[in-house]
Amino acid sequence: MLNFILNQHRVQTDERPGLVLLDFIRDVKGLPGTKEACREGECGACTVLVGALRNGVLTYKACASCLLPLGDVDGCHVVTVEGLNDDDRLSLAQQLMVDHSASQCGFCTPGIVLSLTAFGLTSPDYSYADALDALDGNLCRCTGYVAIRNAARTLCDRLAGLDRDPQKRVASLIAAGVLPDYFAGIPQQLAQLPHPAPAPFSPSAVLVAGGTDLFVQKPEALLESDLCFLSKRDDLNYVRLDGRLLRVGGAVTLEEFRRHPEVKKHFPSMEKDLLLHSSTILRNKATLTGNIANASPIGDASILLLALDAKLVLAGPDGARREVPLDKFYRGYKQCDLTCGELIGEILLPLLPPGTRFNFEKVSNRVILDIAAVNTALRLITDPQGRILDLRLAAGGVAPIPLLIGGMERFRGKPVDEATAKAVAQTAADAVKPIDDVRGSAAYKKQLLHQLVLAHFAAAAAPGAAR
Amino acid sequence: MKNSDTSLHVRGASLFIDDIVTPADCLHAALFTSPVARGKIKSLDTRAAARADGVAAVFTHSDVPGLNQVGHVFKDQPLFAVDSVEYIGQPIALVVAATRRAAARAAKLITADIEPLEAVFDPRTAAARGMIHGQKRVITVGDTAAAFAKSKFVAQGKLATGPQEHFYFETQRCLALPGEHDTLKVCASTQSPGTFHHHIAEVLGIPQNKVEFEIRRLGGGFGGKESTAVWVVAPALAAFLLKRPVKLALGRNEDIATTGKRHAYEYDYKIGLDADGNILAYEVDLYQHAGACADISLAVLGRSFLHVSGSYRIPNLRATAVSCRTNIPPNNAFRGFGVPQGNFAIEAAIAHAAETMGVDAAIVKRKNLLQDGDTLPYGLQLKTTNAVRCWETLDKQIDINRRHAAVTEYNRAHDDTKRGLAVIPVCFGISFAQTALNQASSLVNIYVDGSVSVSTGAVEMGQGVNTKIQLIAAQTLGVDADRVRVDTTNTSRIPNASPTSASTGADLNGMATQYACQTLYARLREFAAKHLGHPTPDDIVIKENAVFLKDKRTDLGWDKLVAAAQWARIDLSHHAFYATPDLHLDPQTERGRPFAYYAYGTSLTEVLLDCRRGTYAIESIDLVHDVGRPLSEAIDRGQVEGAVIQGMGWATIEQIRYAPDGKVLTAVNSYKIPDIKFCPPKFNVTLLPNSDNPFAVCNSKAVGEPPFIHGLGAYFALRHALRSVRQDKEIPSLPLTPEKVFMYLYE
Repeated sequence: MLNFILNQHRVQTDERPGLVLLDFIRDVKGLPGTKEACREGECGACTVLVGALRNGVLTYKACASCLLPLGDVDGCHVVTVEGLNDDDRLSLAQQLMVDHSASQCGFCTPGIVLSLTAFGLTSPDYSYADALDALDGNLCRCTGYVAIRNAARTLCDRLAGLDRDPQKRVASLIAAGVLPDYFAGIPQQLAQLPHPAPAPFSPSAVLVAGGTDLFVQKPEALLESDLCFLSKRDDLNYVRLDGRLLRVGGAVTLEEFRRHPEVKKHFPSMEKDLLLHSSTILRNKATLTGNIANASPIGDASILLLALDAKLVLAGPDGARREVPLDKFYRGYKQCDLTCGELIGEILLPLLPPGTRFNFEKVSNRVILDIAAVNTALRLITDPQGRILDLRLAAGGVAPIPLLIGGMERFRGKPVDEATAKAVAQTAADAVKPIDDVRGSAAYKKQLLHQLVLAHFAAAAAPGAAR
Repeated sequence: MKNSDTSLHVRGASLFIDDIVTPADCLHAALFTSPVARGKIKSLDTRAAARADGVAAVFTHSDVPGLNQVGHVFKDQPLFAVDSVEYIGQPIALVVAATRRAAARAAKLITADIEPLEAVFDPRTAAARGMIHGQKRVITVGDTAAAFAKSKFVAQGKLATGPQEHFYFETQRCLALPGEHDTLKVCASTQSPGTFHHHIAEVLGIPQNKVEFEIRRLGGGFGGKESTAVWVVAPALAAFLLKRPVKLALGRNEDIATTGKRHAYEYDYKIGLDADGNILAYEVDLYQHAGACADISLAVLGRSFLHVSGSYRIPNLRATAVSCRTNIPPNNAFRGFGVPQGNFAIEAAIAHAAETMGVDAAIVKRKNLLQDGDTLPYGLQLKTTNAVRCWETLDKQIDINRRHAAVTEYNRAHDDTKRGLAVIPVCFGISFAQTALNQASSLVNIYVDGSVSVSTGAVEMGQGVNTKIQLIAAQTLGVDADRVRVDTTNTSRIPNASPTSASTGADLNGMATQYACQTLYARLREFAAKHLGHPTPDDIVIKENAVFLKDKRTDLGWDKLVAAAQWARIDLSHHAFYATPDLHLDPQTERGRPFAYYAYGTSLTEVLLDCRRGTYAIESIDLVHDVGRPLSEAIDRGQVEGAVIQGMGWATIEQIRYAPDGKVLTAVNSYKIPDIKFCPPKFNVTLLPNSDNPFAVCNSKAVGEPPFIHGLGAYFALRHALRSVRQDKEIPSLPLTPEKVFMYLYE
């Protein structure tokens, strides 16, 4: 039995935990405002808000409901566009979309309204750039976005003076007309829901670490499967500093990681780099560990973490733990060193020593929400004289696995100059054997990697690049 | 006034096909389609599917009671394949089951033994083998051979443009509901109620008066729901045979893989200019990649053909156009309907020629820009041309020469990045090139409470046609817009409607509505005079919801007027018809007046190229576009912006990849349409001021398609940037994806 709140109403249901929320909302509850247009998280027409109590604070995020299993929202507040319709008054986001004529056929519109509302709930500064980030997973085929941008810009202006205290966010958004009044009572309603302990992790269950790829790949099979949701494991949801290590719990989402103060402090490029990973509505569910265990040869998080020399702490069903360096984790195409019942409990990230340069490059057909033709990350550590002490170069899209490119030891002691850059680029290009696929031809990828390595060195040479 | 649907859209309260509450016994349909691009069907086994959980029936061609045909122009497209298949994705059978999931699962259980035959995927190969739809078209003006001989500069080459997926958000969907006396009501997401109504009756073998076809709105159309009737007729057939409601909704990847696209084209061009840059001669051969059935391809080809000269004066011209029959799903209409392709070739030829001359392409374009008195290839002499006005309005705003100089300077100073720009003029003929389609009717009912209902054949798909019609009715009757409601598009109220297409929705249906309202207005005015005891209606004006006598408001308000008129037995309902006058085109000579008027525009697009990575950003577009006197400025701006971005997507990142066997490899996770960050940060739209148009309703101009052409600027601006890096190789074809840009720079 699953319990949650859908808009103003408490829901109890015996539907399968693997039924995606979109189907529940439309087919079971008969709410038509959440639209089905792709079922792969590519368009945002089915965007909903999911609110959960964490440490006593109710936080919301926008999610693609087509990839969100029902079991994942157990105990949560789910908001569809119908949940913003308060009598005859339009919410602020709705009103601004009307004022700016930001809707034509209307199919993508509810999703955009919800992403704008989520922006109101989550943005730290109500900047226009943040508003565009919030809309990066919502496609529109009619308007050309100009009017939507205008609506977003006006929303930023209207919210600029709002109280930024997260504890008071909902109250101030109710006062500003962004949320209907009933939101004020949701924390109490959520507290009254039963809170079953997370199901013990059983080897027969499918582990869902976000599910944003899993539910694209095999939604039919997952409908019948037992599922275990990492999102319910509060014990795995942390980012904390431990000496010269950053410990990242297995349940941390990409968006939480991207915005975490410790990550911003120690890996400052990550906030921007991870904007190239999927979209806000997917990063809100997708996890670092899911991206790693997926073993896609082109996973952005895998490439970033490979260059950062991450280690994984794998936890077995019996409580056994073992550490595996990420560069030893991949065994072959979509294969990794994860035995039945094991999960990635923690990621260990060594902090960057002084004098380190770190750079991430990704080229995809579309810049946002697209899979790379080639992605690559470089960690470059130099001595005070500027000679290379260590060089880690990872690349995706060029091998069956996310690849740490070997043979870099021979550049130790070399200066970071054009000749070294060219030699590293050539070594990297020689080391890979990409294939022709929908992301590009083999020749393209090979040459592109060469160029992106040069781009790494150009970035490394930029003033202020070293930490 | 804004689109009246918007306040519903933002609440998620506007209903699309999938949102209609279906009866409890509704069944769901899924298609089994050909996995082979060309072959002979030796056997078909549907037994396992028929036995599967929840399956109500499996239908094939042998179950069709009427004609097994959905061919749009020619009868060359069976609803279900009979003994051969011509493309991957061709429907073979329909499974109907209790749930959508059960239907999809069961469809996977069908097997077909198909003996593969050689398939052709290359349009030039198809043309060389005589595999074409219809006839090759040829148009000749003057003497190109002599003109080339006199030309100082000659440029020639081969190029291509790629296909484009519509990516309407609402996929092909249809709900069919059986009624008494073997009738059927069909609600579907289509732009062609008239034609599809006909197809359904023909396939079911029943008269059209037994089928009611109704459309509230579409979640986007862009042409992709205009001609191919499979996804409407198949569920209608199932509902008719089973006497139960049946719904069909294509999944996104199924829609991408099996529905038609914008036609890819190949071009051979040759252009000749004199020493001053005047175009003397132009020759172009168009090869249209049509697919296995003719569908609407010949009409698309005709429009490309009639627009080969773009916005330019070309004294000597020879163009040929051929629709190539290849083994891919039949391509169909897509916003612009062949004009973007026809325009691409002349723009490419001019860009090439300007390089040969060593001048900025904009100078050549301006010099040859159409003006009053110029003659288009089909013999029409232009009278009220706004091409130069648009160009000069833009030039005054942004100073094209200065922008060009700034780019040249930037490129001189930078190696890692380069800028490029392109000026694109637009001259887009408005009317269906098929003269017969230029007709529409409107039914206006005034109810006794004073409310007004309008029905037309126009289909609302986000373009705001209903709001425009609402405005026209309100203005003509002299009442507020909120008294007028535009009803659904329904074949029982409006029969035989032309598709909502060719940007003519508001032109045709708006004019019919205006006629109907004018008649009702005259009736009411005459009645008002009698009612007020005034000798002549000439002193009466109905406006602002009231009757005015000699400019003075009387006590006779609209509601009172209407109620009294009804009681006095005045007919408060009127049906009116409009057919665009004076349209003709002689198919033998290719001369005539196929279009009522032209929409004009000029834009300047600027891009920034990252030479190291082969990536780029479209930084700005400044454009002036001619929409006549806009019926709704907000709607027209939205149409311009949306069309431009769609054109930019086609020019750059939207690409479809096929496997060697003809299978579409591109799915929703690899077909990338523009997103909010793709949209140029600077996007300045000016609607040409003081533009009149006596040829369309209320002096407006059609706006749906013409601005798409500005999107070509992205391709040509990138071309400009790429040329600043190197000139020693051919420019790749459209779309200029990051991969093609990179390979141009580094291969």
